[in-house]
Amino acid sequence: MATVRVEIPSSPTPRKRHLLDFEGWSADDVGALFDTADVMAQVLTRAIKRVPALQGFTVGTLFFEDSTRTRLSFERAARAQSADVISFAAGGSSLSKGESLKDTLQTIDQMQADVYVVRHPAAGAPHQLTHWTEAAVINAGDGRRAHPTQALLDAYTFRQRFAGFDGFTGKRLAVVGDIMHSRVARSNVELWRKLGGEVVLCGPAPLLPPEVAPQVRHTYRLEEAVEGAHAVMTLRLQLERMSAGLLPSPAEYVSRYQLTERVLQRAHPDALVMHPGPLNRDVEVATEVADGPRSVIRDQVANGVPIRMAVLYTLLVGTR
Amino acid sequence: MSRLLVKDAWLVDGAGDHGRADVTIEDGVIRGVGTDAAAGFRAARTVEAAGRLLTPAFLDLHAHLREPGQEVKEDLASGLAAAAAGGFGTVVSMANTEPPVDEPGLVTSLVRKAAGLGRARLRPAAALSHGLRGEVLTDFAALQAAGAVMITDDGIPVTNGRLMRSACQYAADLGLVVQTHSEDPSLRAGGVMNEGAVSQALGLPGNPDAAEAVMVFRDCEMARLTGARVHIAHVTCMRAMQVVEQFKGMGVPVTCEVTPHHLTLSDAALSGFDPVFKVAPPLRSDADVAYLREAIKRGVVDSIGTDHAPHTRAEKERDLLSAPFGLPNIEVAFPLLYTELVVPGTLPVAELLRLLQDGPAAVMGWPAPRLAVGAPADVTLLDLESERPVDPETFLSKARFSPWTGRALRGWPTLTLVAGEVAFERQVPDRSGAASG
Repeated sequence: MATVRVEIPSSPTPRKRHLLDFEGWSADDVGALFDTADVMAQVLTRAIKRVPALQGFTVGTLFFEDSTRTRLSFERAARAQSADVISFAAGGSSLSKGESLKDTLQTIDQMQADVYVVRHPAAGAPHQLTHWTEAAVINAGDGRRAHPTQALLDAYTFRQRFAGFDGFTGKRLAVVGDIMHSRVARSNVELWRKLGGEVVLCGPAPLLPPEVAPQVRHTYRLEEAVEGAHAVMTLRLQLERMSAGLLPSPAEYVSRYQLTERVLQRAHPDALVMHPGPLNRDVEVATEVADGPRSVIRDQVANGVPIRMAVLYTLLVGTR
Repeated sequence: MSRLLVKDAWLVDGAGDHGRADVTIEDGVIRGVGTDAAAGFRAARTVEAAGRLLTPAFLDLHAHLREPGQEVKEDLASGLAAAAAGGFGTVVSMANTEPPVDEPGLVTSLVRKAAGLGRARLRPAAALSHGLRGEVLTDFAALQAAGAVMITDDGIPVTNGRLMRSACQYAADLGLVVQTHSEDPSLRAGGVMNEGAVSQALGLPGNPDAAEAVMVFRDCEMARLTGARVHIAHVTCMRAMQVVEQFKGMGVPVTCEVTPHHLTLSDAALSGFDPVFKVAPPLRSDADVAYLREAIKRGVVDSIGTDHAPHTRAEKERDLLSAPFGLPNIEVAFPLLYTELVVPGTLPVAELLRLLQDGPAAVMGWPAPRLAVGAPADVTLLDLESERPVDPETFLSKARFSPWTGRALRGWPTLTLVAGEVAFERQVPDRSGAASG
């Protein structure tokens, strides 16, 4: 197998770092991670899409909530760097029922993973795990709180695809939909602002409480949110929100919040359309927009692997 | 019965500050009080109080002792020992056990068992509805005859207003106190902490103060409508307290309680994602904490109830959605409040004592506890000087964890007597050369 030089400096003594959210990460740290992701993306274009960078390391994926896409993306990212992967999925299984989070982790910890990739329905669970293991912890989505690798791949996709990209300063991201329940929205607010950009949040009032990310602009009007935006991200609308008494009907949501070609005319001429998936076609976003020329939804999915490769590499080997 | 002499204690009760004097105890009651009380008294044991504060043992109208059925969390022996360690001489136990205390036979067995333990006195509460299901009333008269002193489904709000009204009508007839866990379940929804800036930042489901305030309003209206004595448990926020205040101003027979944790912790405590801080109702904002303290100063609050709610450590090492609500605090309640409220000058010590003695007694219609000749010898001796950190490993409660671990507190009880017998004694060397005899 050909050895690929990864063009970033290695620390003489690898430091254990977590990625729980972006606290403690600077814009430069994120920029360096994006540069690493560029190298990883190149690796993935080769005939043999594998480097030995993480040989001897073990990546444990701990999914306490069902997820296929994120887990596959992380596992691909680990294997492409020759790491071993162990997987634990507790979503709906009896394994963790009645067992404390600590007990569950300490059982799995006997496998001696170097890093855990954790998805959990409860906000803060990855933080809790850091108290009970020596391994690094990557938050792959915790409740409504954070999904940092999604925000990284979103920003990375923007940086890659926005015409004449010259930095995030002055660039506005509009996030539309169920903001209150969205870890993607929260992480994007945190990261986009850290990189120097602006964010506007938009959704129906019951899904956009004023206390969510109060540091950014809120609006209940889609047209206002889209106006001049450089990227518009729509979020999946869970149909349970109707039965929970939060929204009247899918039809009402579609009429007021669906991103259509007509509304998109208000955005910046080079605006990109994003979606973290999975998509409810013709609910939060019109098919013509989701599949249209401005859509980078597929790039987001594709960029998930190099970004997660870069995160694993950075936490296990490199400096940031 | 032992004959006991407490020498040179600083005596304070609801009637006032009686200065330094001796107290003699015999046959479970106080036999003499005064500087000459020891004269001619042949003590089997003498306690050198050396100026420490002797005061009536505290009354806790709200503790979860978990028996029957949840003895892995707590039982009568551990819970009543922990209470005595906290200076409490009387505890009203909550009925949300497994099975719930909804039958007279369960009340009888609890009372009988507790009597033989030699710890704090047990005065059980009984469930308001069968199985705490909020559908059918329990037999209040029979429960009262068996020894129940309070009616409550605490832990579970009574959603059905008609049922609450009937409960209040029966309770008013029987002279029973109805205690309410006032939260609207539909507004509370899946909230695991106070709804607000902190919950939104942490991404945790919030439980708004309005969920509490609207139900407190309903329960106060039930007191007005029926004349029942309604005791609002654990008021945590400004809005709920304002509702109570409004009804009190109208002369409605409503009383209210606050807890040690809601007086000393805010929702910011959840920032570290430690489920130890997950309680119901939730820790509120700093402004709410400040309002509760002001309400105490204005005399709106009737009692401090601990809402001591032990769980196993493993249950509190779950994630924040699945960990149970509640924390243990009965052993630290007085030192915590003394250190946080009295030492900095927020509250006079007499006012804190009122909320643990005369206040709860009045809520229940019991005689005010006094350091007087002939009064039951339920007393606690408090060391207001020595500072000692909270160490959950030393708890007599089975729940050996605490939100205040390591916090240096003053005001620890060193001795608690119940009916003249030692229910708790701190086995540490003390500065006066200690208890002897």
